[in-house]
Amino acid sequence: MPESRNGMSTVGAVLVVGAGISGMQSALDLAEAGFRVHLVDEAWAIGGTMAQLDKTFPTNDCAMCILSPKLVEAGRHLNIQLHPGTVLERLEGEPGRFRAILRRKARYVDVDKCTACGDCLAPCPVELPNPFDGNLGVRKAIYKLYPQAIPNAFAIEKRGVSPCRKACPAGVNAHAYVALLRSGRIKEAWQVIMRTLPFPSVCGRVCTHPCEEECFRGQVDRPVAIRDLKRAIADWMAEHPDQMELEPCQERLKGRVAVVGAGPAGLTAAYQLARRGVSVTVFEALPVLGGMMRVGIPAFRLPREVLDREIRFILSLGIEVRLNSALGRDFTLDELFEDGYQSIIVATGAHVSQRAGLPGEELEGVFHGVDFLRSVNLGRSPRLGGRVAVIGGGNTALDAARTALRLGAESVCVYYRRSRAEMPASDEEVEQARAEGVQFSFLCSPVALVGRNGRVTQLRLVRNRLAEPDASGRRRPVPVEGSEYHVDVDAVILAIGQRPSSEALRQAGLAVDGRGLVVSGPDGRTSREGVYAGGDVTTGPATVVEAVAAGNRVAAAVAAVLRGEVGEQGMGGPNEERRVAPFPADVVPVPRERARPRELPPGVRRTNFDEVVGGLSLEEAVAEAERCLNCGGCSECLQCVPACRPAAIDHHQEDQLEEIEVGAVILSAGFELFDARLKGEYGFGRYPNVITSMQFERMLSASGPWEGHVRRPSDGRPPRRIAFIQCVGSRDLRGGYRHCSGVCCMYTAKEAIIAKEHVPGLEVTVFCMDVRAYGKEFERYYQRAQEEYGVRYVRSMVASVKEIPDSRNLLLRYSTEDGQLREEEFDLVVLAVGIRPSSAGVETARRLGVQTDEDGLLRTRELEPGLTSRPGVFVAGALAGPKDIPETVTEASAVAALAAAQLAEARGQLAREPRYPPERSVEGEPPRVGVFVCHCGINIAGTVDVEAVVEHARGLPDVVWAEDLLFTCSQDSIALIKERVGEHQLNRVVVASCTPRTHEPLFQNTIREAGLNPHLFEMTNIREQSSWVHRELPERATDKACDLVSMAVAKARLLRPVPARHFEVDPRALVIGGGLAGMTASLCLAAQGFEVYLVERERELGGMARRVKYTVGGDDPSGLVDRLIGEVLGNPRIRVYLNHQVEETAGYVGNYVTVLRGGDDSRRTEIRHGAVIIATGAREATTDQYLYGRHPRVVTQLELEEMLASGKLAGCRVVMIQCVGSRTPQRPYCSRICCAEAVKNAVRIRERYPASSVVIFYRDIRTYGLLEEHYRRARERGVLFIRYDPEQPPEVRPDGDQLLVCGRDPATGWSLEMEADLLVLSPGVEPQDGTIQLSRLFKLPLTEDGFFAEAHMKLRPVDFAADGVYLCGLAHGPKLMQESITQARAAAMRAAVLLGKGRLEARGIVAYVRERACSGCGLCVKSCPYDARQIDPESKKARVTEVLCQGCGACVVACPNGASQQAGFSKEQILAMVEAALR
Amino acid sequence: MKVAYFPGCSLHSTAREYDQSVRAVAPALGVQLITVEDWNCCGATSAHSLDPVLSLALPARNLARAQAAGHQVVVAPCAACFNRLKTALCQLEEGGEAAQTIQKVVGFRFHGGLQVKSLVQLFWEDVGVGAIRRRVCRPLEGLRVACYYGCLLVRPPEVAAFDDPEHPRAMDDLMAAIGAEPTSWAAATECCGASLSLVRGQVVERLVSTILAWAQRAGAEAVVTACPLCQSNLEMRRPAHIKMPIFYFTELMGLALGLPDVKRWMRAHLVDPAPVLSRFYPGVGARRGG
Repeated sequence: MPESRNGMSTVGAVLVVGAGISGMQSALDLAEAGFRVHLVDEAWAIGGTMAQLDKTFPTNDCAMCILSPKLVEAGRHLNIQLHPGTVLERLEGEPGRFRAILRRKARYVDVDKCTACGDCLAPCPVELPNPFDGNLGVRKAIYKLYPQAIPNAFAIEKRGVSPCRKACPAGVNAHAYVALLRSGRIKEAWQVIMRTLPFPSVCGRVCTHPCEEECFRGQVDRPVAIRDLKRAIADWMAEHPDQMELEPCQERLKGRVAVVGAGPAGLTAAYQLARRGVSVTVFEALPVLGGMMRVGIPAFRLPREVLDREIRFILSLGIEVRLNSALGRDFTLDELFEDGYQSIIVATGAHVSQRAGLPGEELEGVFHGVDFLRSVNLGRSPRLGGRVAVIGGGNTALDAARTALRLGAESVCVYYRRSRAEMPASDEEVEQARAEGVQFSFLCSPVALVGRNGRVTQLRLVRNRLAEPDASGRRRPVPVEGSEYHVDVDAVILAIGQRPSSEALRQAGLAVDGRGLVVSGPDGRTSREGVYAGGDVTTGPATVVEAVAAGNRVAAAVAAVLRGEVGEQGMGGPNEERRVAPFPADVVPVPRERARPRELPPGVRRTNFDEVVGGLSLEEAVAEAERCLNCGGCSECLQCVPACRPAAIDHHQEDQLEEIEVGAVILSAGFELFDARLKGEYGFGRYPNVITSMQFERMLSASGPWEGHVRRPSDGRPPRRIAFIQCVGSRDLRGGYRHCSGVCCMYTAKEAIIAKEHVPGLEVTVFCMDVRAYGKEFERYYQRAQEEYGVRYVRSMVASVKEIPDSRNLLLRYSTEDGQLREEEFDLVVLAVGIRPSSAGVETARRLGVQTDEDGLLRTRELEPGLTSRPGVFVAGALAGPKDIPETVTEASAVAALAAAQLAEARGQLAREPRYPPERSVEGEPPRVGVFVCHCGINIAGTVDVEAVVEHARGLPDVVWAEDLLFTCSQDSIALIKERVGEHQLNRVVVASCTPRTHEPLFQNTIREAGLNPHLFEMTNIREQSSWVHRELPERATDKACDLVSMAVAKARLLRPVPARHFEVDPRALVIGGGLAGMTASLCLAAQGFEVYLVERERELGGMARRVKYTVGGDDPSGLVDRLIGEVLGNPRIRVYLNHQVEETAGYVGNYVTVLRGGDDSRRTEIRHGAVIIATGAREATTDQYLYGRHPRVVTQLELEEMLASGKLAGCRVVMIQCVGSRTPQRPYCSRICCAEAVKNAVRIRERYPASSVVIFYRDIRTYGLLEEHYRRARERGVLFIRYDPEQPPEVRPDGDQLLVCGRDPATGWSLEMEADLLVLSPGVEPQDGTIQLSRLFKLPLTEDGFFAEAHMKLRPVDFAADGVYLCGLAHGPKLMQESITQARAAAMRAAVLLGKGRLEARGIVAYVRERACSGCGLCVKSCPYDARQIDPESKKARVTEVLCQGCGACVVACPNGASQQAGFSKEQILAMVEAALR
Repeated sequence: MKVAYFPGCSLHSTAREYDQSVRAVAPALGVQLITVEDWNCCGATSAHSLDPVLSLALPARNLARAQAAGHQVVVAPCAACFNRLKTALCQLEEGGEAAQTIQKVVGFRFHGGLQVKSLVQLFWEDVGVGAIRRRVCRPLEGLRVACYYGCLLVRPPEVAAFDDPEHPRAMDDLMAAIGAEPTSWAAATECCGASLSLVRGQVVERLVSTILAWAQRAGAEAVVTACPLCQSNLEMRRPAHIKMPIFYFTELMGLALGLPDVKRWMRAHLVDPAPVLSRFYPGVGARRGG
């Protein structure tokens, strides 16, 4: 390992945080340059925001089409390790040698096993808003980020435990069964309930549903009717007994357990143990089973047959029952142990009524709540009489009251000591009781019962008032003195509580506390070994669901003992430690009525014991289930687990920490969109037809939720009038983002254009302040949007958006430029939301101690782009400020250059080279073809008969082996293919599976590892081209798959090895232009260890940068330029040729010979180099408008800057005119820098000369991105901005020594006339002299505007189409100094990637010439777009420069004689395929 | 719960029914209103457009009185009173130069720990929708109302510091709690024209007709408000063909809670509420309507 200055060794690896287009570009550049790269992203796939885009401006390229190759490249690169779903937690150490601690989030899917077959999708019942589609569409809780995602694997979204599930004492997974019900899978829903609750029908009726209290839906309107849904599921199952089949239980236990008490706790424990194979006997004191469920709850709430049914099912698991067997009376615990029971569970409940201690309590006609209910429920109805008083406010009191009514009482009144609000009985029961005629009397307590002849006749009461809250949190009732009164009664039911019968328990040797409750630990362990207790006997009276919970807990403890585990058992609840999911912020719930079950009419029901509340029908239940918000994300219904054949799903995964060593870190976490809900006046999130630009982007995308159809979300109709509102969250001091987002004007223009192409006759209006079309080719695009597509631009900010109720159209209110208030109606409103640094990225930066500004930006110093406050940590992309794709890509390469320079000594240290066995020669061998046919889970095999295809393949000529594989791309299949190659001496391999786009390189690599030339491989796609598209016709799909395989085999038989060819690369670079860009690029290359020839036409270095005196941010560029000149001249790796020009050049990538001429003696110098960087700059345009050159007081901005620098400002009334010559038919582009330049100079004038005035006439102020703050500063300093239309430019007249400027203020409509001491023009930027000559010399294309044209506007912004030539600085187009610096570094990095290679491998698939057939006509030379063809001057035959050939095949088609051929696609091969298909 | 009650001048005159219904509903919900002793104008009339110091000193004096009486919460039923009192409170809490001036003018020392709430806010935050729902005995089921907040009840957000300034929901929740159906509509926070009603009636007529048209389009039978000026503008400056009653939210709450004096309040209305309310409360109606 190389040693760094402090003696520590430098690590040749870089950590890139954020795998959007920026991170991917940095990673690819560094990996190609010989560094190991760790590419980390929070998302489950790389690609970032660009993957979401439909088209890109200004070329309208499909974003995914241009991105996808990069995804594949980054995903497959040997030196890039992807870390999806990972965050950088900490960074220790120092530059050159950091220790990074990464946290990998639980994905719940094993990426190595997942084959992305998608079989898990159908069983998943949870649909969540799909953030990838801007929440316009839905995705499952198990999902792949997008179809082309890399890594190509699924992930599960868990947001925490759903509140309903967390609230359930028994841990019943309400979310899962509601989700399954919603998707129509009733049996599975029932199975989920039965995991923890064997009484779904009972709890579906009488549960106190704590789940519903917590349900987040309640924050929207009313909670989901979870209990009714459970009942619907259970009742449906009761009607379909054939479906009643529990999930197979994972464990089998042996043992004998006795359960004492057949209430909900005891039966649940028995059920859980019996399911696991334990032999269970239940002992019950009463003659009936069910405990309080039977003798406590009246039949009108819980019909007997429902209870019977459920108990029957539990017993059917093989549980033995002994009725009429009471502990202490009929058996003792000792006897049970003697009988061989290993554990005993005591769950005898609390069946003894509390006494009130009132005088007269013993009178006839006085009953106690549970005793009364028990008698009735056992069929012994007591005589009550006409007037019944019930004392108490709980459910027992209400049950007693309602039962009394049904027994024929004339009037029943409930007396409760506090008020209605404190009453513990549930609201719904109080309502039902009231409806049936039960009366209530609050704030009174009984003091005595008075009787006559031993029978109660009078109830004496006292009134109460409420005092401060007591321990229960309820307000304490205090008797009001002297307020005693009485009522006449025939019977009194005291329902004030109950307790266990403790005598038998004590005698059984169990510790019992003062309230008569059995003392037990959290797992039910009692004072006696082997005896467990749970339910009311340990807690006092509680609910059914709490008893069930206790039963589960005790069963778990006993099971653990039977399993042989020792020690304290936990509570066993599944949710104990887990976090409740937050309210799902991404759903926009539309209030919807909660389902209401039918009730018997009160008049009918009070006459009998029929069930009062009916159930929901299945349809109603499913509709109600749709109200669920899926708060937890994944519901953990676990349906995906059995569906996944490769067994890749693991719901128990946890986050993992990992430590890696790197030399440098690049932060490129990108941006997030402004939350449009914060701008309430636009109604986003409330009005369905107000959407964000990202939603619109997804709508336009063919892979979006609506497959490219533009529709209104409210009704699916295509819109006719769309409004875009610009600057939503940008340029906004109130709740938004202060800066300009830099991209919205252009993406709006793009979306408007594309939308108009999608919807004929669409009218598009854009509401905006300025249109900032400042980038290369942007202005043309904006003009096209207006002129060609008729997009209307209105210069006004919209004040409010209102929805019109019936049509759901939107009414926009805005004021026109002349102050008129206007309202206009649209069908769809698109909010052009701004971008802000990704909050996750900002947090990471802060954890790392990297400074951020108040907006969270990792703002860099103006002339030091890419450097953060922490050495060794770099920043690229939108984290440092809003920017578009090309600028981001440029920055990514530029910071890669900084990292590469820092780690130059460790280049190659950790880089991996592919290692292969020697290639086996197949020369002379007859073809031996192996065919592998993929099932792709059920993706192919579900339609195509894969076995038949294999059988067909076996019968094809030269096929010596054919077999089918479940997933051909899985690790084990890859190993198997290699084995088969050896085993059967295969020399051609055919795979019939999916798309070669993603999988061909994998299989080629596989056979190369098996010793075969990779070109002896052929692939055919029987998924996209057969099984998916012919799902309805499985037989014909099979036939087609057979045909496709025949064709592939026919070609494979004729395949020939294509030898790899290499050529050397000269590691020196030529940089043309010695300005800021050229010097920066040269130094950057030198720092990475490369030698540079720097050629400058002038006699000194520095270029245009010498004329810039200060930057817009106040930095001093002259210091930088001087420093650069010094460094360049002093750098031993840089050879400077001043006063020289390129005269001629020849050669190709890696091998150029260039002749320079210059110096005082016009000497000719020949240099050899491998790469070229063009950095020839541009110049300020010349003008003769507005008296320039004819009046001494008219100057350009550059001239003004020189005046300001020298302190000689000629007068203080300054008028500036923007766009002089720019954005005109003669010079249609925007010069980008003039607005910032004018603002910069105007601010300086106002700050230096307080008496001055500055007026700026402008068309749009294009202070994009962070420059916006300077525009704001100018306005704060009193600079006056007046917009003008190009049709009505300001006029300038000489006024003696002064000037007179006339214009029109569009805001007032007034004509203005002002005297000026100085008129400053912004004439814009023009291409440099000599650009055309240079472009001819190097055969480089120019744009229409005369600047150099890069290879690709978006993704190759500093490359030329020809390999080996790179571009930076103003030669590319107008830009600010910091942008030039960035671009120069990017160009240097791109060159360094090439120069560091040593040798290049030529593509295998290239054209070649059969010389005998060649007539030298030259058609192929003309057709070649890559300059890879020449006519050999001697032989007069065509020749291919293989390193330049891209294998496009154009020359093959062009050649009239068939002399041009393409390796890998020869005529014979193609014809053989055609024949095979036709056979 | 005891709170200081600042009725304001409207509730003594044009909005007497608002005052009456507030004084009936609050105790029914367990809120004891104690009128601020010797209260004065809140400053919402001419003061706030003429004299910045007076515009703060007037409400501050009321706060001083409430503070002196040991109150922690001052409740203003009128949106404009609420706005003035809360603005003064914000200034006092900020403790800047204005706060010094006010305290000097009024002659008191602000101790802090005082809250100013609108009545809607008090019912929504402190009484709670659940408690209200439980006390309803005559739910206004099926009554479609448009809750009208106007410009001051929830704005400016940094002063009101309550509910969503663009899409408030507190009054909607209160109406839902008493069984009515609040409709989602677009004009909930539009301006009614306020005191321009006196000097430029036509402006107010235009604004009011827009608001009522939105309410009609949303299918509302009545508009519910918490501001005396809104109420009177909407009933007085409405176009002749729209006969939609405008209720104080407390009036409907009183009705739903079964309070005895509802009929008396309803008599003061300019638009006869009978067609809308008679299905809940036969015999209710404006004076004109009999």
